[in-house]
Amino acid sequence: MLNESACSHNKTKKSSCDKPKPGATSGGCAFEGAQISLFPYADAVHLVHGPDTCLGASWETRATLTSYEGENNTPLGYCTNVTTQDIIFGGDKKLADALSYIVEHKNPKAIFVYETCVTAMIGDNIDFTCKTAQDQFNIPIVPVHAPGFVGSKNLGSRLAGEAVLDALVGTREPESIHPFGINLIGDYNVTGDMWQYKPILERIGIKVISSLSGDGRIEQIQTAHTAKLNVIVCAKSLVTLCRKMQERYNIPYVSVSFYGKRDTSNAIRSIVNAFGDAELIAKAEEIIAEEEAKLETRLKPYHLMLKGKKAILNTGGNKSWSIASALQDIGIEVVATCVQKATEEDVAIASEYVPIVFKNPGVEQPRLIDEYKVDILLAGGRSLYTAIKKRIAFVDVNQEKKVSYGAYGGLENLASDVCSALANPVFKLVGKAAPWELV
Amino acid sequence: MGASMNLKELKTTSLKPLHVNPLKLSQPMGATLAFLGIKNCMPLMHGAQGCASFTKVLFTRHFNDPIAIQTTAVNDITAVIDGGDKGISEAVENITKKVTPDLVGLFTTGMTETKGDDIKGATLLLKEKQKMVYVHTPDFEGGLESGWSLSVQNIITQLIEPTTQVKKDKVLLIPNVNLSPIEVEKLKEALELLDLVVFALPDLSDSLDGHLGVKQGALSSGGISVLDIEKLGNSGAVITVGRSIKKCGEIFSEKFPQSMHLHFDSLIGLEASDDFYAKILAYMDEKSVPNSVKRWRARLQDVLLDTHFTLGKAKILIADEPDSAYAISKALREAGSTCEAYISQRSEVQEAFTCKVAIGDFEEVEKALPQMDMLITNYHGERLAHKHHKALLIRGFPNYEQVGIGLRHNILYEGSCAFLCEVNNLLGHH
Repeated sequence: MLNESACSHNKTKKSSCDKPKPGATSGGCAFEGAQISLFPYADAVHLVHGPDTCLGASWETRATLTSYEGENNTPLGYCTNVTTQDIIFGGDKKLADALSYIVEHKNPKAIFVYETCVTAMIGDNIDFTCKTAQDQFNIPIVPVHAPGFVGSKNLGSRLAGEAVLDALVGTREPESIHPFGINLIGDYNVTGDMWQYKPILERIGIKVISSLSGDGRIEQIQTAHTAKLNVIVCAKSLVTLCRKMQERYNIPYVSVSFYGKRDTSNAIRSIVNAFGDAELIAKAEEIIAEEEAKLETRLKPYHLMLKGKKAILNTGGNKSWSIASALQDIGIEVVATCVQKATEEDVAIASEYVPIVFKNPGVEQPRLIDEYKVDILLAGGRSLYTAIKKRIAFVDVNQEKKVSYGAYGGLENLASDVCSALANPVFKLVGKAAPWELV
Repeated sequence: MGASMNLKELKTTSLKPLHVNPLKLSQPMGATLAFLGIKNCMPLMHGAQGCASFTKVLFTRHFNDPIAIQTTAVNDITAVIDGGDKGISEAVENITKKVTPDLVGLFTTGMTETKGDDIKGATLLLKEKQKMVYVHTPDFEGGLESGWSLSVQNIITQLIEPTTQVKKDKVLLIPNVNLSPIEVEKLKEALELLDLVVFALPDLSDSLDGHLGVKQGALSSGGISVLDIEKLGNSGAVITVGRSIKKCGEIFSEKFPQSMHLHFDSLIGLEASDDFYAKILAYMDEKSVPNSVKRWRARLQDVLLDTHFTLGKAKILIADEPDSAYAISKALREAGSTCEAYISQRSEVQEAFTCKVAIGDFEEVEKALPQMDMLITNYHGERLAHKHHKALLIRGFPNYEQVGIGLRHNILYEGSCAFLCEVNNLLGHH
């Protein structure tokens, strides 16, 4: 199951799908990965079949925005709250009752049922219960078999993607088929990242048939098989889904990033080039030129402050190079980037963008900051202390960020946030000695 | 105080086959926080990696501070074959490669309890290598409060050394999980002001109070030391705050019969604070308190009168952990508010409530909200309060909206003043 032929790093080492190491692991589990991948379907109810913990700690946490006008189920939490009683007698009856309750009270377009460690261990027949309810209520009820113990977040995302492929894709035919229809795969629209570039694609003449799963709709993903191209945005875990769709429906795929000016333009080019339509390509170039010019005007106020500033980047996956490229686009020199959580392919790309790639942030980050007189650290919240100790500015670029850094519009947000951080006196102030420490 | 409600009269929503927007947090999460109140401790959650990851993220965002925690990262193979000991010893080995914990707090999750892992045996096998405490905390039973309480119970039975000595002026303070780090510190100060030597177990007052540490520790950064815990047996009294940890005091008294157990269900409001000083003074055979205490009591009397105009008319819905919901409702009743409470799990404290109380989720909370003026609950209440245009006071776990959670002080005379004023002002200006 861990062998994925479409993963380029798989030939030598399956690093991102490795078994987690007891006592030396801090990442999320497969269940969390499955949640992340599917929760943005706001018109479906997401029912977690397990104890309340799996959901109690994780509902209403991710800012995955949606334009769905009905009740938005993304931030809501549904859980069968399995208790001792259910563990002894089995939880199938409770699951069936919960499904009835949801159909009766919430009227969703579909229900995803997430298996968890406990319900996998007690052997609940989730497939059967879902199938029975699906026949009874006549809406898709999709079991997602990604209990936490099967592996990491990445693997869970992949399993969730495949559950959608098997249960939903190809189950509905659209009224017409668009010649330039694409599926967006792996953008979860965190802080509205997808909305930064989707309108641009549409202006060029490309139609987004469906998405997995940012701002996604069940009825659209059911027609995903009619798209002409799959576009993987920042999510290696869903490459399997794309490979299988290529095999099953003959849909090719491209992998792109929408962080930064160059990468956004290149992403658009990759998409239109895949169609090979001259008119489309010309239109794309026209709009790219227009957007880049607009962006340059908007970035002007920031140029003076950002010019010559040095940064270190410590984030995960393809952000290790995509954010680096975005920073370079606003005139920052990226001294080094951490590739601890990146695949070999990402490491190779990162090396093209950034002179130094490092793997052990605990040791190397502080040293690099001193050696290169770095001005700003961009990382996840855990690196904040490194920045404060070194009295340099800090910007959080991981999932807890508050605004979108995606595409042309997001790059302006990034420039603005970096400028605010650089201008803020607190990083120097809090590092000062107390009066009683002065001799 | 009104008559206690009969347990049988309590409305329960347990007939619903699911939770919609759960209020409940889990036992392993309570255990995590308890072990974070011990110095140089590594909480080690025995389960799939996600349980620890979710917990870490929730508390990091809640406290805005780094959270030390590790996982035994049970996978599909070890979930079926291993009895637990291999994963646990491997975890301890990997942890001690990087850091040297004074204690590893090992606790279970739903999965490892379902398969029935022998964590006691695993701990015994490792006892030459690493000092450990083990606790059974399945997440299909109990919740945040019971996970915290079970951990303290096991720390008492497994870690405190036997003794028959007693020091009358030394006291062991056991707070419930809802007390903020600064509240634990204020409580310690209040007792120290009466010339007592106080040890809090767990002690979050200098581990999760949001202070700027020298470096980001991989282990808990403050709290009671293991050495101090081992020597707690000679405490003259054990003071428990909250019904969820009453049993901890009982277990301590059983193990150390020479100590006295002083229990308080709540410390918010005039009656609760008076009761606190009455019992402590009786224990010490004292009659008076320092002037600052007297001044704060007089201020609380005044605040009660000042706030009763607004609070007396207010209908308030509380959804929180049982001990916290009880303490808040009791304090608000003193100024005449009408309260209704939803709690996350069954609890002995239900008997003590004088207002309507039910076990429920946020779906139930939302149904009851239109008839109320204010909602007191965790971060998840924000959307509901906005939707129904109600005043909102954020209390409980998690709170992702606000900063300074560790510095919020709502107990005894001084904290109760702050609490009542805050509620009053929110009701007036929402």
